[in-house]
Amino acid sequence: MTEPASPVVIPRPAGSEWVGFSPGRVAAIARNTFTEAVRQKVFNILLVFALVVIATASLFAEFSFSEQLKFVKDFCLGTITVFGTLIAIVGTAQLLPNEVEHRTIYTILAKPVRRFEFLLGKYTGSVLLIFMSLVMMTLMFSAALVYKEQRLIASAREDAAGMSAPDLQQEIGQIQAATFDPDLVKALLLIFVKLALLAAITLLVSTFSTSMVFNVTVAFMILVAGHLVGTARDMWADNRLAVWLLGIIPDLGSFNIADDIILGNAIPWAHVAKVVLYGMVYLVCTVAGAHFIFSDREI
Amino acid sequence: MRGKLIAALVVVLPAWAMLPLENRIHAENVALRYGTTQVTGGLRDRIGQGMAIALLAGFRGVVADFVWIQSHTFWEKREWLRQYDDMEVATILQPQSVMFWDLGAWHMAWNIGYAVSVDPANRTKAEGIKREREWWDKAREFLRRGIENNPNRYDLYFAMGWLYQVKYQDWCRAEEYYAKAIAFPDAPSYLPRIHARALEKCGDAIGAYQYWKGLWLQDHRTVHQPWGIVAREGKRLEDLLKIPYNQRVFPMDPARRPGASE
Repeated sequence: MTEPASPVVIPRPAGSEWVGFSPGRVAAIARNTFTEAVRQKVFNILLVFALVVIATASLFAEFSFSEQLKFVKDFCLGTITVFGTLIAIVGTAQLLPNEVEHRTIYTILAKPVRRFEFLLGKYTGSVLLIFMSLVMMTLMFSAALVYKEQRLIASAREDAAGMSAPDLQQEIGQIQAATFDPDLVKALLLIFVKLALLAAITLLVSTFSTSMVFNVTVAFMILVAGHLVGTARDMWADNRLAVWLLGIIPDLGSFNIADDIILGNAIPWAHVAKVVLYGMVYLVCTVAGAHFIFSDREI
Repeated sequence: MRGKLIAALVVVLPAWAMLPLENRIHAENVALRYGTTQVTGGLRDRIGQGMAIALLAGFRGVVADFVWIQSHTFWEKREWLRQYDDMEVATILQPQSVMFWDLGAWHMAWNIGYAVSVDPANRTKAEGIKREREWWDKAREFLRRGIENNPNRYDLYFAMGWLYQVKYQDWCRAEEYYAKAIAFPDAPSYLPRIHARALEKCGDAIGAYQYWKGLWLQDHRTVHQPWGIVAREGKRLEDLLKIPYNQRVFPMDPARRPGASE
């Protein structure tokens, strides 16, 4: 009989506390944050509400087909923005306060997990939540559009008495062309970037505050201020100090191109790319700022 | 404290560095949108405080839709001036929505125009006619502003032509607008036929004939037209204008061909 092999123990270098950055740990924290958020009632209620509201958008009936499709698109994209904003802000605002309140943060940070990894994992989980919510709402939006399109085509066929086949085909073609505009992808992309930026801002606020209510309130104030930046800049264009001060707040109005896409305006990809770049730079700086505050914070 | 200071610098300095990009995006936005909405005191009073907040939060389309639906409610209640006011507000909010201009003018010229003409409150029939005419004029002015805001769409030129044709019975002005509408590649296939008819009604039968001939000489396999109607109208004009048989292009009834036995 041979002796069982004793486990090999690799000794940690004496006095070494340094732990390298690990994308695996970030992914684990993100996955956990996402799972935790999905299990929460608030998220589910918000999402169900959003899906119901989007589904009801197809009930606009007593109008012309162009009116109906415009209403459905405006209403659905508006709903996606509102509920997406709520999910982004409320979902992110509670991440750090909950961890501190439940004292789970001590358990995590006592392990070889860097604070930056923890923060980045939390943020990634939140962005994943926003993304999944957007995907679900977009699917419901598409279903509402398909349903509306089929109803309109059926109605056009019913009213086609006396109309030649090519004329009917032309009308059906018009309905189909008006229903699915590939440019809607641009609107959805910018909504996503805007929501990710809002989540980053909320995360930044929550690194120096312990109250979730405070986080949510400040995030909503920044949301409103961000939409007023464009108007304010036009009003105070001559005042350089005001322009510099306004420069601190991201211009969230730049992300609202959905209205114009629905009206059939051509929004070039180059413009969309500029807005995405603008949003991403803000986002990265905000998360970096959150890291510097969080790493300094006493827990 | 040190961390907060660094955080402030990390957030603020890049934000300031991005000011030129922010300004460029803002300038592009203004250029692309061709008429963004400024929430003035007057507009806020007209749409209400709640709608103004929604507007400021970036929901311009939704607010415009709700104002438009409200205008429909006023139509059902026969409150024409309120309906008119809401239609105005909807177009202020979204001046690029062709639908608002088109349907708004249609409501004014057709629905409201007829309703005021048969209003029992009219003391005389002439008063009804006068009031109806006023609404036609409002519709015309509304469409004019719509065209000003959307010069690159055929719809409003067609709507203006139709208004001139049906309500003012002014075929010449109608023809002018139809001519502008058919210049757009996405104009529907029935528009050229309406245009040809307007040309004839305006007194230019030769021009109308030339137009029908031009339509007829297109490739019938690739261009969609009800060719029977085109042939019928073309033949009618050939007869009316007494076009010599050897110059006629539309298919003739064999019995009427030159040399056919009587």
